[in-house]
Amino acid sequence: MDLDYSPVLDSWQFLLNGLELTLALSFLTIVCSLTLGGAIGLARCYGPRWLAVPLVFYVDSMRSVPVLVVLVWTYFALPLVIGVTLPPFWAALVALTAQIAAYVAEIVRAGVTSIRAGQTRAAFALGMSRAQTIRTIVLPQALVRMLPAFGSILSITIKDTAIAAVIAVPEYMNRSQTVAGQSFHPIEIFTVAMAVYFVILFPVTRVVDIVYVRLAHLGRS
Amino acid sequence: MSAAAGEGNAVHRKGAGTPPVLLYRNVVKRFGALTAVSSASMEVRKGEVVCLIGPSGSGKSTLLRCTNGLELIDGGEIALDGELLPRDWEGMRRVRQRMGMVFQNFELFPHKTALGNVTIGPMTVLRMRRADAEQRAKAMLDKVGLADKTASYPAQLSGGQQQRVAIARALAMEPEVMLFDEPTSALDPETIGEVLNVMKRLAKEGMTMVVVTHEMTFARHVGNWVVVMDRGAVIEQGPPEQIFGSPTVERTRDFLSHLGWSG
Amino acid sequence: MNFDWSVVWRNADALAEGTKLTILLAVTTMAIAIPGGIVLALMRLSGVRVLSSLSACFVELFRNLPLILVIYTAYYVLPVATGFSLSPITTAIVALSLNVSAYNGETFRAGIASIRQGQSEAAYALGMTRWQATREIVLPQAVRRVLPVLASTWVSLFKDTSLVSVVSVGELAYTSMRIRAQTYRVLEMLTAMAAIYWLLGYPQAKLVDWINRRYAVNE
Repeated sequence: MDLDYSPVLDSWQFLLNGLELTLALSFLTIVCSLTLGGAIGLARCYGPRWLAVPLVFYVDSMRSVPVLVVLVWTYFALPLVIGVTLPPFWAALVALTAQIAAYVAEIVRAGVTSIRAGQTRAAFALGMSRAQTIRTIVLPQALVRMLPAFGSILSITIKDTAIAAVIAVPEYMNRSQTVAGQSFHPIEIFTVAMAVYFVILFPVTRVVDIVYVRLAHLGRS
Repeated sequence: MSAAAGEGNAVHRKGAGTPPVLLYRNVVKRFGALTAVSSASMEVRKGEVVCLIGPSGSGKSTLLRCTNGLELIDGGEIALDGELLPRDWEGMRRVRQRMGMVFQNFELFPHKTALGNVTIGPMTVLRMRRADAEQRAKAMLDKVGLADKTASYPAQLSGGQQQRVAIARALAMEPEVMLFDEPTSALDPETIGEVLNVMKRLAKEGMTMVVVTHEMTFARHVGNWVVVMDRGAVIEQGPPEQIFGSPTVERTRDFLSHLGWSG
Repeated sequence: MNFDWSVVWRNADALAEGTKLTILLAVTTMAIAIPGGIVLALMRLSGVRVLSSLSACFVELFRNLPLILVIYTAYYVLPVATGFSLSPITTAIVALSLNVSAYNGETFRAGIASIRQGQSEAAYALGMTRWQATREIVLPQAVRRVLPVLASTWVSLFKDTSLVSVVSVGELAYTSMRIRAQTYRVLEMLTAMAAIYWLLGYPQAKLVDWINRRYAVNE
């Protein structure tokens, strides 16, 4: 097969804009899902019992349904229910946040419950309040333990933004498809796309690994 | 009386006059920059119980693991029945069948019953038929006092029972030499006795044994020859009465007194 | 806005066919990816530089690529690379298998490595060969360790089969969206699609939780 990479070079600006959108969507999704997921996770651990039921239902449902389905439903079906049309980018943000927050909630819950009760007892014995204990003893250790899982959340988020191409979000995957369709050189376009995603994703997991190795001792009790 | 890494009171040794079963000559073992064993020499005669004692990190376990090739030596020689140990894995594997090893943390196979643990060696390595292997295994388990535990899994057994199964597992291969790497160090005090009793019986039956141990009473009363190691070297060796009664080397005396040994 | 939910029942057969294909895709992929993962893990742990590096590179590559991109690339590249005209399903299964094998490779590697070295040493001390020790002692214990992770991977795979809809493979997602396009019943079909995935996926997620509890490592 003879390869012709010129379509890639000709459209590099078009593709680059798509890449910017990929990164923007990833960043916003992570911020929102860490916030939402963190809140849900802590609510599961420390909140009232009746709250656990709907939260567990939400988390388990998001584990059961594919990302593609949530994205498509949010973009096409949700407007019919609430009467408001969401532009593709924001629909994707809502859908991805909903999905990933569920994973974050599980990670937070697992991390917090992995801190032995002995640690909280020791804190109480020193006279700390519940809030102080959670803030200064439990959460710092739990956060360190959750680092590897957060790293994979980062990785999953960036990969899932590529699925947003399906609902016409003009991020990198979508743009690659456009260029491939116009230039009839899909192989070159997609191999470049693979290289681009790899170059973004590989360091992300490596950096998280390195940071975790440095800090792991802080979470060991 | 030589205090150096020589043969000590060779003339009084059990099995004196017969060629040694195991011969170590200037054995050296390094791990990177660390020299774990720096020129160890000793002999093990047939039917002898040789006890290796010394502080942690003295190289006793390393020397034992060099004996059955779990570690390959960097210098010197080890000979079994007069033949040098091979340097290749496959050759060493055949030699390993003639030695039995008992580990500090038992290393029983958790997914197999006691019977399964004892039969797997004969069946896999010696290619015995299942019926024959099970017969031999039952005899071995009976020998260590666990005839009623053949169907139990390691998780259901106490530490002492697990270690006895481990001994049976090693015996099932009918080894010429039994190597014990701190066999009671991981046991609760109550169960140490049952394991030491099994080892005593083995010794009485004439098994050649090399035992790395901190149980000084065992070394004193069951051992025929004691080798003291410190920081990778053999600093003294001799019969138990001499080592424990009147050690000639300062560091031996220090080590024994630290253990609260008062003879 | 009027909703006509009967469109779901009227197309129940097609949806059932789509569901069957979803399940078939997942089962076929896992059937390839479990042995694939074991091979990759053994290569990685083999001590032979070339095998170890190849395995590590393969695993790192597919763990750091979006699956949807791999699916597209397989769809366009495979026919050209092999010279055969391959059906979309074939390219889809290839893409899914490569992806899941990589994850399984890491799972099995971690599982095998988690078996204490002392276990292998005890096997060697009895005179077993390396392969005998691996086969009789290490792998049986490793399988038990990896079961919970494999269960999670299965659930992810089941959901990821929806991605092959983008290359026109007629599984559940594709079928639902095709019917939506034909009938213009957007909310009804998309909700039905979500509901079917939920009905299939929820019990699987709960099963994974149960497996995690039951097979928690007890050492």
